[in-house]
Amino acid sequence: MKSHDLIIVGAGLSGMRAALEGAKAGINVAVVTKVHPLRSHSCAAQGGINAAINPNDKWEVHAYDTVKGSDYIGDEDAIDLMCREAPIIIHEMDRMGTPFSRNDDGDIAQRPFGGASFDRTCYAADRTGQVLLHTLWERLVHSGIHVYEECHVFRLVLASDGHVAGLVVYDIKTGEIFGIRGKGILLATGGYGRVYLSSTNATTNTGDGMAYALRAGSPLGDMEFVQFHPTGLRTSGILVTEGARGEGGYLINAEGERFMGRYAPKKWELASRDVVSRAEQTEILEGRGTNGAIFLDLRHLGREKILDRLPQIRTLALDLEGVDPIDAPIPVRPTVHYSMGGIRTNKYGACPVPGLFAAGEAACVSVHGANRLGGNSLLDTIVFGKITGAHACEYVHGQKLRDFPENTISEEKERVRELKNRPNRGMRPAMLHHQMAEAMNTYCGVYREPKGMATLAGKFPEWRQEYERIHLDDKSDIFNVDLLRAVELRNLLDLGECIIKGALAREESRGAHYRIDFPNRDDANWRKHTLAFWDETSQTVRLEKEEIRTVGNPEYAPKERTY
Amino acid sequence: MTVQTYTFRIQRNMPGQVGAVQSHWQDYQVEAEPNTTILTLLETIKGGQDGSLTFRQSCRSAICGSCAITISGRTRLACKTHVGAVAKDGLVEIAPQKNQPILKDLAIDIRPFFAKVHAIKPYLQDGPESAGKVTSTAYDQVNHVTQCIMCACCYSECTMTEVNPRYTGPAALAKAFRFVSDPREGRKTERLQELSKQDGMWSCARCTLCVDVCPKEVAPMEAIIKLRTRGMGKGFTDAAGPRHALAFHEDINQTGQLNEFTLMMRTLGIFGALKETGMALHLAKKGKIPSPFPHYVDGVEELRRIYQSLERTPVDVETKAKEAVPE
Repeated sequence: MKSHDLIIVGAGLSGMRAALEGAKAGINVAVVTKVHPLRSHSCAAQGGINAAINPNDKWEVHAYDTVKGSDYIGDEDAIDLMCREAPIIIHEMDRMGTPFSRNDDGDIAQRPFGGASFDRTCYAADRTGQVLLHTLWERLVHSGIHVYEECHVFRLVLASDGHVAGLVVYDIKTGEIFGIRGKGILLATGGYGRVYLSSTNATTNTGDGMAYALRAGSPLGDMEFVQFHPTGLRTSGILVTEGARGEGGYLINAEGERFMGRYAPKKWELASRDVVSRAEQTEILEGRGTNGAIFLDLRHLGREKILDRLPQIRTLALDLEGVDPIDAPIPVRPTVHYSMGGIRTNKYGACPVPGLFAAGEAACVSVHGANRLGGNSLLDTIVFGKITGAHACEYVHGQKLRDFPENTISEEKERVRELKNRPNRGMRPAMLHHQMAEAMNTYCGVYREPKGMATLAGKFPEWRQEYERIHLDDKSDIFNVDLLRAVELRNLLDLGECIIKGALAREESRGAHYRIDFPNRDDANWRKHTLAFWDETSQTVRLEKEEIRTVGNPEYAPKERTY
Repeated sequence: MTVQTYTFRIQRNMPGQVGAVQSHWQDYQVEAEPNTTILTLLETIKGGQDGSLTFRQSCRSAICGSCAITISGRTRLACKTHVGAVAKDGLVEIAPQKNQPILKDLAIDIRPFFAKVHAIKPYLQDGPESAGKVTSTAYDQVNHVTQCIMCACCYSECTMTEVNPRYTGPAALAKAFRFVSDPREGRKTERLQELSKQDGMWSCARCTLCVDVCPKEVAPMEAIIKLRTRGMGKGFTDAAGPRHALAFHEDINQTGQLNEFTLMMRTLGIFGALKETGMALHLAKKGKIPSPFPHYVDGVEELRRIYQSLERTPVDVETKAKEAVPE
């Protein structure tokens, strides 16, 4: 069996940044990824990456903005660490080759973003994620690190002592199922946007790593906090960057009114994302939208600025909505975008399961708390890719390979055989996915009401039964996407259940989680994390609470959050 | 917009014995508005009619590069192609990318393509030519090539790759230009020397298909031409490609007309030209051997003045990315 000191799952920004730490430490590190690294969803991040690099800005202010943005439920030790590290990693990426946009004097340019008290978002036009991803891939190629490309992890394997032993992996290209042994495993598998039907996320964002961690006994944190991006395109949900508002774009309703002043009189369109999304949803619900959307108006920015700063946005609007933002406003609506929750870790990315680590959107470190600020996710991926990577390298140094229980491989082979050989009586995976994802959108969206949530929660046992009957049309070994979708669907069901149970339990409104029956924040009872565990006996999710990690900074004491 | 019925005629490929692929065409009917994307409709077919239909996709927003396939004869991103723009009488023909081995249905083996990208050393290198401070306009050149998402549309359509599978190809060369034009790159000259070798930048036949099909306005051929100019500027002229270009330059400057009789010898050298004797005899038989004596065109003096003026003040061949236009 193949073995490595450290196996990283996922080759987005976090995974690749972590891998580079492995190369630096001189350990045997490998990356397993279900898509080619350049297809990773980090490439879709558009607007930018926050860092206090301007001499007039301070990392402490960035940290304060982030604590406030998190609605006082982010872990303050991790937030301090991230914001202090931010300027360092920007200059590192610059040296590695990222072509950041520049000011007239040649310094890295910065634009304003929502919820920030300083213009601290560095960018490369409106394709910041893409250039960062390509830069790290270039370094990955340079390092010669082994990448298992188009290989899907099917299971996280623990040894008898509870320490990680390795992974069971499915090679998409050949259909081969095999084990890989590792002294440490770092999950950097991104978010779970496909739990919802309308999402800015790629179709490959199925939160696999989170689901495997959950089933392996490592809890997920704060899964009820799902970020709705204020500007997803009406039809497809494709992202329109917050940078569009950062560059001066307005939000207008069907009556042409620039409505944000009624909700956030100081920051208007650049209030925090949860605030803007709720404002838009209210406008739509009160009948001031058009076909379920309001509008992003860029016309006043003028042709030149749109072409220079937001060229990709213009093309997307043309291609996908048939609207040229130079002449007409773009129809947009709040759309599922980001998972604040994830695999619960300490501030170095270590999980309670020994030998297991997580970074990036897959993790809940937690720097985003109940609401992530725009420009902080790219930052999170690179900072914690680096920190967690280095920490994991140090950890595996003192470890030996554990015995790998080989029955896990035969069990996965049997699971695949059984799935393929089912009679064509049940649904196709796509149909069951559609049912669940549509219900998640309807009952666990921007506004959450108790009756709908209870209906949704009650559906999960039904869907799990249905899952046992789904059938595959594709029985082949090579590139069986039908099979992958079926495997991913179980992961989505697990995560959907964590989200709805968390949302039902949290009887308050905080950040992205808004209960119409509990419209206020309740710090006394709920300034706490939710932990979701997998209960093997009942085959369901159970919850616990956990205290947040504070640093005793009086500035960080909870206050009313206004923008 | 009105809903209409489209027929998707899709090439189904199943792996057979030792690399062989068995192909057949299969028709599917879908209802859609003309501005629906091809990817959406492929998903509709996979989810509702035939789960075995296999294709790659991920971001749905033309930034991950997964879903490039041949649609109505052209390689395009399925996620940004509207069905109404490519259907002919309601029919859309769909096949995998060209110039690459097929894995299954519309999924090709991406490894040969990426092996060529790896071969150009796709990373910034430290070295003697690294510039210190970056200016506000330093990336104007870099930007249009960093828009590349490695979707391989250009590689699939490349006419030179079709006849010479060893050719580096447009995407890898555009990536090489990205480093040659980056002020921070330390080994620009070394790169240009490497790219001047056989199957490198001089193999492009300038058919412009890569520019036409690129969904991200990268214009690989422009990058290749700039690489050539810079390579010659660094004195890498001792190869068939640059010699050919110099022979053109010399003839037009001297007589205003190409001397095709001596062109081959000047490009390939005496021994290289001798190898082509068979071809020359074949041409002679058909009466297609041009006169060896130079012929001066009318107004050649004016042509020379244009040359002199251009040599004093060269035209800026550097371009920025073109403006996007809807399909």
